[in-house]
Amino acid sequence: MTVPTRTLLRVFWRSLFLQAAWNRRGMQNLGFAYAIDPALAALYPEPERRREALARHLGFFNCHPYTAAAILGGTIYHEERVARGEEPAGNPVLYKSTLQGPLAAIGDGFFWTALRPFFGALAALGALAVGWPAVVITLAIYNLVHLALRYGLFRDGYRKGDGIVADVARLALPVFADRLRVAGAFVCGLTAALLLWRGALQAGFLSGAVALAAAAFGYLALLGGARLLPAAYVIVVAGVGAALFAARWHGSS
Amino acid sequence: MSYLLVAILAGLAAIERKGFLQAMLARPVALATLIGLALGDVGGGVLVGAPLELFWLGAVNLGAALPVHEALGTAAIAGGAVLAGRALGGVTPEVAVLSLLIAAPLADAGRRAERLTEVLNEKLAARAEERLSRGDPAGAARVNLLGLFAPFAISAVLAPIGAALAAEAVPRLVLGPFAALPLATGWFAFSGLACASGAKAMRAPRARVVYYAALVAGAAAVVTVMWRVGVRA
Repeated sequence: MTVPTRTLLRVFWRSLFLQAAWNRRGMQNLGFAYAIDPALAALYPEPERRREALARHLGFFNCHPYTAAAILGGTIYHEERVARGEEPAGNPVLYKSTLQGPLAAIGDGFFWTALRPFFGALAALGALAVGWPAVVITLAIYNLVHLALRYGLFRDGYRKGDGIVADVARLALPVFADRLRVAGAFVCGLTAALLLWRGALQAGFLSGAVALAAAAFGYLALLGGARLLPAAYVIVVAGVGAALFAARWHGSS
Repeated sequence: MSYLLVAILAGLAAIERKGFLQAMLARPVALATLIGLALGDVGGGVLVGAPLELFWLGAVNLGAALPVHEALGTAAIAGGAVLAGRALGGVTPEVAVLSLLIAAPLADAGRRAERLTEVLNEKLAARAEERLSRGDPAGAARVNLLGLFAPFAISAVLAPIGAALAAEAVPRLVLGPFAALPLATGWFAFSGLACASGAKAMRAPRARVVYYAALVAGAAAVVTVMWRVGVRA
């Protein structure tokens, strides 16, 4: 009993909808059941066994949407063994509940708080410097990495089952995450300097200087716990006020 | 027609953001560019999208915690700015900053609405279980896709409303009571804060030092170049 390659590809495609019906009780349970259903249909021709199999995958599940692909692949690995009678039916669920926490932490720590913001900052800097082509190129590179890792994790999970843990550890994602964050902070600082240039050219030197000051002092304010949206309103008013004040002072001198 | 395009793009972005794919297409820098493209002013979209990306760089969905709905906010701000810009000769910093001030709160409204859909989705889970008990596993699994409707609808309704408010109000303000105000400086102040917000999203031990080092070194380089080429205040 193995799942045909075509069906595996279909499962991977469906895994892209993992969070379509995210809910407070089961979280990604519906998404997981939706993704794995074609594989279950291939493994359990008997209606009663398929029903049981799908029912166990409607239980609570939550992970990072990218790294969840590894668990999905590994769960199919285990379901194949269950279908052949080599493992008890509780193993796939045990596998999911064991891996979901650690893989969620790795996915959040690498993709959501390092890789994606780094590419976001890079796209923003590129957009301000050279315009939309920078956005297209940056997003293309991000998605090359994203889809290669997402599909690679799914395939390796399916091939190796529990061995995926060692594979993910070997990727050393937390190490890269830290470097990406530092690089991202560097890009943000450069963007502030670019704004000094842009502001000065477009709206007078004062506008550029205000942007730089907002970048320098805004950082301290945000680290000190200032809320983001109110801070935006305050800083806009302060910027306009500074420009008014400068114009009046300039005019009266 | 323009508002229909804003509605469709905002709705699709809301789906891409969480329910399907997650390939950064709903991030502000991409979505604002797409909205600019759809409404005939790519440059205007990019101008608005780049600072918004940094501003909302920390808007990340970790576990069960919901961030502000940066895609909905972006769709309304970028749509409003490009449409307002039509009457004013393009998306200027003045147009961008007023659109931001008018439509940004939608990002917070979007977060509340998303919390609501998470409760509605519990009913979908119950429906899937009921279908399965009736012996329809394929149908039970497909219930998942019904969850895509609510996020699409919420953003497709709210984004054009926000865009319309901005598109109507901004030209009146820029040509009327705010005509004498140096609003452009306000946009650059916001953009600076956006850099700070982006840097704050990068939580690493050396991030603070590196951020300030890049800012100071970059600023020094800019000032030097200005001095050489003779840009005057």
